[in-house]
Amino acid sequence: MILDFLSYDFLRRSLSAAALAGPVCGFLGVFLTARGMAFFSDALAHTAITGVALGLLGQEAVELWLGLKIPLGISSGLLVLWCLAAAWVMDSLFASARWRPDTVMAFCFTGSVAFGVLILGKLGRYGFLEQTLFGDINANSWGDVALLGAVAGGAAVVIRMRLREFLLIVLDEDLAAADGIPVRRLNRVLVLLVAAVVAVALKLLGALLVSALLVVPAAAARLIAPNLRLLLVFAAAGGFLSSVGGVILSFNLDLATGPTIVLAQLAFLLVALGLQPLFRRGRTAQSRGSSLPTDSQSS
Amino acid sequence: MEPEEGEETGSERATVTMRRSSDPGWLLQTRGLAAGYGDEAAFEDVSLEVFGREIVSLIGPNGAGKTTLLRCLAGILPPREGSVEKAPGLRVSYLPQKLALDRLLPVTVAEFLSLRLGHSLFRCDWKGGEQAESLEELGVLNLLDRRLGELSGGELQRVLVASALAKRPQLLLLDEPATGVDLLGAAAFDALLHRLRDRDGLGILLVSHDLHLVHHISDWIYFLNRRILASGPPKEVLREERLAAAYQRFPHPG
Repeated sequence: MILDFLSYDFLRRSLSAAALAGPVCGFLGVFLTARGMAFFSDALAHTAITGVALGLLGQEAVELWLGLKIPLGISSGLLVLWCLAAAWVMDSLFASARWRPDTVMAFCFTGSVAFGVLILGKLGRYGFLEQTLFGDINANSWGDVALLGAVAGGAAVVIRMRLREFLLIVLDEDLAAADGIPVRRLNRVLVLLVAAVVAVALKLLGALLVSALLVVPAAAARLIAPNLRLLLVFAAAGGFLSSVGGVILSFNLDLATGPTIVLAQLAFLLVALGLQPLFRRGRTAQSRGSSLPTDSQSS
Repeated sequence: MEPEEGEETGSERATVTMRRSSDPGWLLQTRGLAAGYGDEAAFEDVSLEVFGREIVSLIGPNGAGKTTLLRCLAGILPPREGSVEKAPGLRVSYLPQKLALDRLLPVTVAEFLSLRLGHSLFRCDWKGGEQAESLEELGVLNLLDRRLGELSGGELQRVLVASALAKRPQLLLLDEPATGVDLLGAAAFDALLHRLRDRDGLGILLVSHDLHLVHHISDWIYFLNRRILASGPPKEVLREERLAAAYQRFPHPG
C-alpha cells in the first residue's frame, strides 16, 4: 500500500534520480566543504543558466535552418560540457591569483546569469528560467536518469580510486605535495567532478537549490561523525535518505519536490545538531578515561 | 656511505670540507636554485648538499627565504631556476611547523597515520603493526583513537613527528623545530635527532632561527639571506664577527 506510488512512472524516475544523486553529492560534499568550496558549487549551478539558454538557442537554430529536432538527451550532454568548461575557466582564474576566489565566482556567475536571461528573453522562453532555477524533477526522462547515473557513478569511482590522496589534500595540501601527491591536478579533477555532478543534478533541484545537495549532508555528518570513515558514510547515507525521503514526502503532501528535498536535508542537519551534545559527551568521557602520557614521559 | 673520521692532525674544518666535497653519497643537492611566490624570488642561486648521517642547519634572519627553500626542496614549490637532485629512490619526509588543519574535521590519529603511509583508510591497525614500537616511543600509541582536532599542541606535534618517521625516511626536512622543542622538551628533541642520525643514519636538514640549538646540534650550517652567505661547520659559521657582518650586509627591516 505504502509503495502504491511506485506505479507512477514519473515517480519511479524521480526516485531513481534522487537515489543516484543524493549519496554521490553527499560523498562529494565532504571534500567540497572541507576545502571551502561550498559557494563554488552554487556559482557553478548559476552559470548553468547560460548553458541551458545556449542549448535552447542551438536547438532552435538547427530546427530553423536544418529542419531537424535535436533530442533532449543531447542538450543535457551539452549542459554537462558547458559546466565543465565554466569550472575549468573559474579554476584557472583562481590559480592566476589576480582576484580572490569569491570575487571570481561572483563575476562569473552574475555574468552568466545575465547572459542566459538575455538569451531566454530574446527567444521568448522565460518559462525555462523557472524550471532552471527551481528544477523540475518530474520532467526527468529515463535518458536523464541514465546520464545522472553514469556521471554520478563515474565521480564516485574516481574519488574512491584516489580516496587516500584526496583526503590527504583535504587535511593539508603541503603535506600531500611533500608526500608526492599531484595536488594541483587532483584539485582540478575535484572541481571538474563537482561541475559534472552539478550539471546532471540541476533538473533535480534547480540552480538555486542544487548546492544544498552537496553541502548540507556533509555539514550534518561532520557534526556527529567520530572519524573520517564514518563522515563519508554518514554524508552519503544522509544524502540518500533526505533526497529519497524528500521525493516521497513531496508526493504524499503534494509539495514541490526540489524545496522538499532541501528542507528534508535541513531537518537532518537540525537532528545532527541536536544529537551532537550526546556524541560530545561520549567522547570526552572516553578520553578522560584513557591515560595520556605527559610530555616528559614521551622522551 | 661511511663518513671518514677526521684525522688527528688535520683541523676539523678541513676534514669536514674534504668529506663534503669528495663523498659521492649525497642524498640531496641543488645547483643554482631559485624559487618564490608571485614575481619576486624568495631566494636565488642556492647550491647545497645534504649527506646521509649528518644534521645540516639552515639559518638566517626572518624573511631570508628559509622556509621557502625547504618547501622547494620538499617538492611543494616548483623551482624557478636550477634543480633539486635527489638520490634515486630516496625516501623523504617533510615536517611542517604545523598542520593547516581544519580542527572540526573528524580525523583520528590512526586514520591520519594510515593516510600518510599509503595504507587503506579502512585498515587502521597500528597497535599490532611493526611501527608500534616507534609510536610507543613518541607517546602516540595511546592517542590513536583520538581526533586530531582535540589534541593539544604537544600531542599534535608528536603525531606529526611520528607520521614523518613512520615512513622510514632517509632524509628528513624539518621546518623550525623550535616550536617542537618547546613541546617535546629541548633535551628530548636533541636526543631524538641524534638518535635518528647515529642509529638510523638519516640525513636531516633543519630550518631554525635558534642559534643555540643549531650550534650544538649541527654538523654543517648554511647561512641564508636570499643567497647562501656562508657555510661550514658551526664553529666556523657561528663566529660572532662573521654573523654580525652577514646580518649587517643584509640588514633585516624591523
